[in-house]
Amino acid sequence: MRPGSIIYFFREAGKSLKRNRLLSFATITTVAVCILILGFGVLFTLNASNFMKHLEADVQIRAFLDQDLTSSQISDIGREIEAIPGVKSHEFFSRDEALGKMQKEFGRKEYDLKSTLGKNPLPHTYIVKVANPQEVARVADRINKLPGVYKVNYGKGTVERLFQVTRWLRIIGIVFIVLLLVGAIFLIATTIRLAIFARRKEIYLMKLIGSTDWFIRWPFFLEGIFLSIVGALVSIGILASAYGSLISKMHNLFFIQLVTDSAILGHLYLGLLAAGALLGVVGTGISLNRFLKV
Amino acid sequence: MLVQFYNVSKVYPNGAKALDDISIQIDRGEFVFLMGASGAGKSTLVKMLFREELPTRGQIFLASRSVVRMKRSDVPQLRRNMGIVFQDFKLLEKKTVAENIAFAMEVVGAASKDIRVRVPEVIGMVGLKGKENCFPNELSGGEQQRVGIARALANRPLLLIADEPTGNLDINTSQEIMELLFDINRKGTTVIMASHARELVRAARKRVIMLQTGRVVDDSPNGESLL
Repeated sequence: MRPGSIIYFFREAGKSLKRNRLLSFATITTVAVCILILGFGVLFTLNASNFMKHLEADVQIRAFLDQDLTSSQISDIGREIEAIPGVKSHEFFSRDEALGKMQKEFGRKEYDLKSTLGKNPLPHTYIVKVANPQEVARVADRINKLPGVYKVNYGKGTVERLFQVTRWLRIIGIVFIVLLLVGAIFLIATTIRLAIFARRKEIYLMKLIGSTDWFIRWPFFLEGIFLSIVGALVSIGILASAYGSLISKMHNLFFIQLVTDSAILGHLYLGLLAAGALLGVVGTGISLNRFLKV
Repeated sequence: MLVQFYNVSKVYPNGAKALDDISIQIDRGEFVFLMGASGAGKSTLVKMLFREELPTRGQIFLASRSVVRMKRSDVPQLRRNMGIVFQDFKLLEKKTVAENIAFAMEVVGAASKDIRVRVPEVIGMVGLKGKENCFPNELSGGEQQRVGIARALANRPLLLIADEPTGNLDINTSQEIMELLFDINRKGTTVIMASHARELVRAARKRVIMLQTGRVVDDSPNGESLL
């Protein structure tokens, strides 16, 4: 490609932008609305998955030990738990601590649980956290088979249901975003088609004079990319300020922790910008090809 | 031979038979009229030259290259060898005379210094000096067609194809346009012109190919059949 042609492409794209101000504005608005909805969708999914990750991370295994173990047997069990692959951390909770906690929660000051019960009925406990919450059942099973462990509790059934729910929520989130993207492409393609339709005579002439398809495409692509980047920037601006004020207002108000990591948000905004540019390219491509078949 | 048609037939998808077993040869430097009533197949034949339409059967060669078997990516190169003049001029309303002509060179990637030299040259050839900065709607029909011809000449085509170029013009203006086309032909460019203006064609004393319902019914070197 000659440098003269590149100058020509930019000049033509610029001229067309100036000539079709109303359609340019329509394209920018369409892209902005699409990216805004998409951005809200992604932010919602991001926060929902963050919330789910917290929920999942709270899943822990309680391993109750036999009553008559020596302290060295107890620490042996601890070492064996540690050696199980997938275990992230484990914490020992003695029967006295357990009773103390129970006294605090239920007995308050009026009842002395220890004297009421006669003796401490609670077992020693290991509280185990796993690296990958999805592996909790497998790890619990391994721990249950260790000698000296008489019972394991990890909310069997409830945990599986939680995982099923979170899995479905993730799938729904992804499907939602994909549908939004497809809808956005068609909306933008339709808007750009209007701009191209106004110039179909020019395109037909170019084809008959002997222009190559790419020579015809480039100015339209540049125009499409420019308009969709502007649209994306507008929506990112709106999204960032709206989300920013949401974070500052909701701070410590909700039990749901909003995603505030600036690196993640930065990636999101960059991704939306790229998505905007891509929508412009795909939209222009879809609309243009029909007019190039001469 | 510049243009060769061998047993070309065209049936449109709706079943309409536009051309029926046409065989024609046109030499370099010739001036050829395609005559016939509306629907005789003139436009289809012209469109096949620049491959806007493909034949259902038969072969077409331009400068010994098959137009039919040509790859899609080679079509732009084929079209750069031709200049096309339209009945309705097809000028871009928002461009001046000079810009309309420069457009034809820009879109095939010509260097801007060549464009600067060639545009005034062809404007001179078609007699529009002084009108460079006019917009099409400021020109008469004849002047607009001159711009169309100048645009067709800008890329120095081997072949000029004119599809009813005088169809929208009065008789005097038509004659001026014909003179311009003859002049271009004298300078070496092959011209194929579709027309149904019998008087104009007869006066020209050039080769006439007569089409009727998609068939060649007469091919006379000096238009004798019209006398």
